[in-house]
Amino acid sequence: MPHSRLRRQHPGPVWRLFSSAGFRFAALFAAVFLLAALAFGSVLWWGTAGALERQTDAAIRADVHALTDRWRDGGAPSVAEAIEERLAVDAEGQTLYLLQDADGARQAGNLAELPRRDGNSAWHSVTLSHEDGPPGEGRLMVVELPDGGRLGVGREVGEKQQLRDLLTEGLAWATGAALVCAIIGAWLMRRALERRLAAASGTAAQIAGGDLSPRVPLSPHDDEFDRLGASMNTMLDRIAQLMDGVRGVSDAIAHDLRHPIARARNGLEEALLDEANDPAALRSAIERGITDLDNVSRVFQAVLRIAEVEHGARRAAFAPLDLALLLADAAELYGASAEAHGQVLETEWPESLPLVGDRDLLLQVLANLLDNAVKFSPPGAVIRVSAAQEEDAVLVRVADQGPGLSVPDRARVGERFFRADAARTTPGSGLGLSLVRAVVQMHGGALWFADAGGPPDHPGLAVLLRLPVSAGTEKPAA
Amino acid sequence: MDLLRRDVVLLLLLAMPASAQEVRVLPLGEAECVELSARLARNARAWRDPARGLAAEGRRLCRDGYFRAGVAKLRRAVRATQGGADTARP
Amino acid sequence: MRILLVEDDAEVGRFVRKGLQEAGHTVEHAQNGRDGLFMAASEGFDLLVLDRMLPGGVDGVRLVETLRTQGNHTPVLFLSALAGVDERVKGLKAGGDDYLVKPFAFAELLARVEALGRRPAVDAPATRLRVADLELDLLSRTVTRGGRKIDIQPREFRLLEHLMRHAGQVVTRTMLLEKVWDYHFDPQTNVIDVHVSRLRQKLDKGFDKPLIHTVRNAGYMIRGEA
Repeated sequence: MPHSRLRRQHPGPVWRLFSSAGFRFAALFAAVFLLAALAFGSVLWWGTAGALERQTDAAIRADVHALTDRWRDGGAPSVAEAIEERLAVDAEGQTLYLLQDADGARQAGNLAELPRRDGNSAWHSVTLSHEDGPPGEGRLMVVELPDGGRLGVGREVGEKQQLRDLLTEGLAWATGAALVCAIIGAWLMRRALERRLAAASGTAAQIAGGDLSPRVPLSPHDDEFDRLGASMNTMLDRIAQLMDGVRGVSDAIAHDLRHPIARARNGLEEALLDEANDPAALRSAIERGITDLDNVSRVFQAVLRIAEVEHGARRAAFAPLDLALLLADAAELYGASAEAHGQVLETEWPESLPLVGDRDLLLQVLANLLDNAVKFSPPGAVIRVSAAQEEDAVLVRVADQGPGLSVPDRARVGERFFRADAARTTPGSGLGLSLVRAVVQMHGGALWFADAGGPPDHPGLAVLLRLPVSAGTEKPAA
Repeated sequence: MDLLRRDVVLLLLLAMPASAQEVRVLPLGEAECVELSARLARNARAWRDPARGLAAEGRRLCRDGYFRAGVAKLRRAVRATQGGADTARP
Repeated sequence: MRILLVEDDAEVGRFVRKGLQEAGHTVEHAQNGRDGLFMAASEGFDLLVLDRMLPGGVDGVRLVETLRTQGNHTPVLFLSALAGVDERVKGLKAGGDDYLVKPFAFAELLARVEALGRRPAVDAPATRLRVADLELDLLSRTVTRGGRKIDIQPREFRLLEHLMRHAGQVVTRTMLLEKVWDYHFDPQTNVIDVHVSRLRQKLDKGFDKPLIHTVRNAGYMIRGEA
């Protein structure tokens, strides 16, 4: 098997970890977690840094208004004085000022120059270079004064840098923690998965080993794994049932076909050895042989057909049809037989019984049932065929006035080649009802038997079929 | 609208801080020390603690050539003369 | 009829060929699909009898498909060991006209061969079929014998029509089931016999010459002269 060989090429524990479904689930979780952390961090970042920025901007704007007011009252010298005063109390060195006259010469302030004009915005975000320290960042508002001079007011915003560093560090830690969690989670999840799947894979291994009897043990949790186990068990039951069926068929074939084959062989051999060699006797022996062989091939055909139906291979032939027409055809075909046997066929069904199914197989079902009814009812009997529309199904009933079927026999009817003792003397292969059961099952329907309501020693048999209108999913046989 | 634009500017600033214009800050020197000392001398309240102590320390630092630290002390002294006790960190 | 038989099993081939020749037909036999295709395409045959599975890369279905795309409409009868309904449908879809599953009775094969070989005559428009003094009017859907009207049910009419269209030919029970009732299934018992004998009673009542004859081990035939 190529799969096991592939796995043997990568036997390392790391490969095993990465190839495990548990790890992949955990990795997915970690990725989602990381993403969420990142989103959270970003919101935090924008929120805090943004609030600081808004505060700073408000202070700068107020300062600019105050200074331009002063300019209107006392002119440039007054502003210069105010700037000197403001700088004189700025012990932390956070404020930035520059007052330039119309020629661009510095009148007051602690900046060497103002940033270049940048569109219409008065606001500038700048990098501040200090002669005696690392560069910082600043916010600056520059306004034009009526005399052509410019006034720049700003703040150094070093906190933002600090905040960014803090957040980066925090996110890095969070990432690391998430990774560790993912790896531990992967390991735990893999172990949990393995432990939960051990039951199923153990059972599968035993079955692969040839023993079909074990079933997946189910825990009381009724979780996904138990449901998987339950469907495996259902599948195994079905397989076991099919295997039994195959075994039953081969036994039955061996048993039921041996007789006609032996008979044909004996007859031909006898004719060959016959001293008299009468041509007429020889001819009739050969004809008997051919009849026997035809019977053998008919039984074969029936067995193959049942197998075909049970495989569901014929579902391709499903089409919408009117069961009422099929019933009419079947009644017309077999009504003549019943008449020839001195029996009466009574029918009753609505004008139309639409359903989806296989036309030929459904007619075969009706034919087999009617054939049985005619075969097992005495002359003068009444055979009743009726059908009725139910909510989402059609119920068909075929009732005869024959010997009926004992309750234990009812359970066995439908097994291949089963024939009730009463039927031993009538011709037939014992496959008719097997095929009926297989076809009904293929249509997702149900088949059951009841007494037809005759006298106790002769109750008659009623065969009932319920066929779903829309040929739903095939139900697994119980 | 304005708020939105500011946020966008902020976003750009955070996304690429290196692309901002560079502005030079004038270094602090003896001129500032002298100017602040003169300002203190004009103020009668500078003779009271804690402004007096801060001013003395600032002048000493300026004299020793530590202009940055000296200016900071002197500015703190000026602040003390204007608005009561200075509780700022040293 | 000139018949091409394409069959790889030598024994089955010999048996079919011998039987068809004894029935008065000329039979050419090809052992594989390639030879069969070549012969079918280059010579004129009245009918092809093809095994569904053939060696040599060209199986029966391929052979028919190829012939049909070339505009060759010679009737085709498939012989097949594949009894599945899907196989039957596949064969007929490919352009086959009839499908017979092995093992088969030779009488069944012969009846189907003769029915297929006479098909063109069937397609000719006819409003009236006649066998001896029996007349069937397809328009008024009435049956008369010797000028006397016979009361007949719709299904019996179709049964009689089929027999009369193949007058002088053997029609088997399965052929009747397929053509008159239009179902493919195993009727278990002799239901067809019951219907035919009922029809026969109606037709022959009051006449001393029977028209529908039972052919032993094969089926039925409607025929005027005894």
